[in-house]
Amino acid sequence: MSDSLFTTHQLSHRYPGVLALDGVDLDVPPGRIGLVGANGAGKSTLIKILLGLLDPSGGSVRVLEHDVASERRSVRERVGYMPEGACLPLDQTAADFVTYAAELAGLPANASRRRASEALTLVGLDEERFRYLGDFSTGMFQRVKLAQAIVHDPEVVFLDEPASGLDPDGRAQMLDLIRRLGDFGISVVFSTHIIADIEQTCEWVVMLDAGKLLRAGPLARLGTHGVVRLEVVGDQEAVAHRLREAGATVTTARTHLLVAADADPFGMILAATASEHAGIRAMREAEVTLEEAFFGGQAT
Amino acid sequence: MTDRAIIVDRGYRTYDGERRGTGAAVGAIIRDGFRRVLGLRRKARSKLFPWALIGLMVMLAALFVLIQWIAGELTDDLPRYGEYFDTISALPILFMALAAPQLLVPDRTQGVLAVYLSRPLRMGDYLLAKGIALFTLMMALYLTPQLILHLGLAGLAPEGFFTYLGDNADVLWKVPVVAFVYFCLHGSLAVAVASYVPRIGFAAGTYLGIVIIANRLAEFLSEAAFSGARWFAFLAFEQHPRYVRDWVFDLPGQTIMGAAGFEPWAALAAVGAIVAASAVAVWAQYRRLP
Repeated sequence: MSDSLFTTHQLSHRYPGVLALDGVDLDVPPGRIGLVGANGAGKSTLIKILLGLLDPSGGSVRVLEHDVASERRSVRERVGYMPEGACLPLDQTAADFVTYAAELAGLPANASRRRASEALTLVGLDEERFRYLGDFSTGMFQRVKLAQAIVHDPEVVFLDEPASGLDPDGRAQMLDLIRRLGDFGISVVFSTHIIADIEQTCEWVVMLDAGKLLRAGPLARLGTHGVVRLEVVGDQEAVAHRLREAGATVTTARTHLLVAADADPFGMILAATASEHAGIRAMREAEVTLEEAFFGGQAT
Repeated sequence: MTDRAIIVDRGYRTYDGERRGTGAAVGAIIRDGFRRVLGLRRKARSKLFPWALIGLMVMLAALFVLIQWIAGELTDDLPRYGEYFDTISALPILFMALAAPQLLVPDRTQGVLAVYLSRPLRMGDYLLAKGIALFTLMMALYLTPQLILHLGLAGLAPEGFFTYLGDNADVLWKVPVVAFVYFCLHGSLAVAVASYVPRIGFAAGTYLGIVIIANRLAEFLSEAAFSGARWFAFLAFEQHPRYVRDWVFDLPGQTIMGAAGFEPWAALAAVGAIVAASAVAVWAQYRRLP
């Protein structure tokens, strides 16, 4: 297994009139990776560049230690892809199409048939595998799309909005499948605009907004790192003002301040309270939700 | 053996077997192309049209052999080899009208191209595989009835089976060459249309419309009384392979190109130009997908 799942350096992509990705630097480890951002944030563009389906306008990309520009085939032999939109031929049975998807990855015919059967069983379509895809529901469609993405046993699978269009039950089952893939040793890069899905599923998260990287890191660290909850004895607003002057991001609540800083926030707080002759009633690392972290990132 | 059953979650098994690379993927696309065009492993209605056309072409060849067997002699009144291309000409055109869109349109309109290109394949590999599938099917369609005719006539020949085959050995290159020219003309036109039109039926109709209307236009304009009118004979796309066939088989056919004073090699060059223009048009469309 590679040390890095993928790395990007100053990655940019421009569509006519739109900058979809703007100087994105990433070094993402293997595991279950969430790619979160609003519609148009650049998630699908990033996935397509990682697969070599799109050539970036600038910067470089490596996936599983292979340069995507010069070693596209080596990358594609080791990855799977579940597109966001429709990608299934309606006149074929699920078994035939998933078998074909395995053959397209270079597997022999007999192995392809066996793997297709196993993949469809894994996604819960064992009984329906000989039905035509045109007769499938949205939830079954999404499962077949996932089966074709994993049928050739990739090291990493890119899932573009895998839970879109699913009802709550279907969404829960799809998220459970994604968790299981991680347990089987397949790295998952999973894009969504629903932060709760990432919180339930992923170990690592990449946040994009309007083509720019907001934050990237382990989910646990993003929830706490660099954010301090501070209760002040004295003039809270003056302390907040002093912290902002020092470069911290400060959110003011009625009873406390939330202070985030790239540098040591505790040192900043001590300096700010001392200069305003204020006391500290309580100071501890704050726990924030991923959603707060995302919108906090957007605010900066 | 115990009478208590248990359910075991088979989970996920890794694959450590052989991976055959791009060549195998291209082979898979070719085989899928055969199945798609012939309606194999698909609903019954998908099989109806292609197999009806194939059956008709084979039966016509068998019928001509049967008639000569009943007549008790080989007659020159029935079409052979070169003439046979004319006799059946509408059937391969109809087959092509359906086959080319079947190969290209669903992958594009149903988003399946994204799956192809996430595998170790380039767009060029994909198009090459589709081209090979179409070429193989069409050549089989052109050559199978000719083979039935050839072997049937050899079997009925008074001079004997092998003597007939020896005397007519030239058809072994003439028929495939002419079939290839027919394939190049119709295949390139049908594929170019199917690359842009988003529905199978509409693509088939557009291709047939181009062939029929261009022929009529060429007939009308090339005989008009203005300078350079004869150059419109090149619009008679469907007649270019026919003119080449007359050349190869030394047949006294009448074509718009011939009537306009052009030599058969001009028709062959026109086929080459149409193939090149179609290849450029197809690539211009697919290089920007998905």
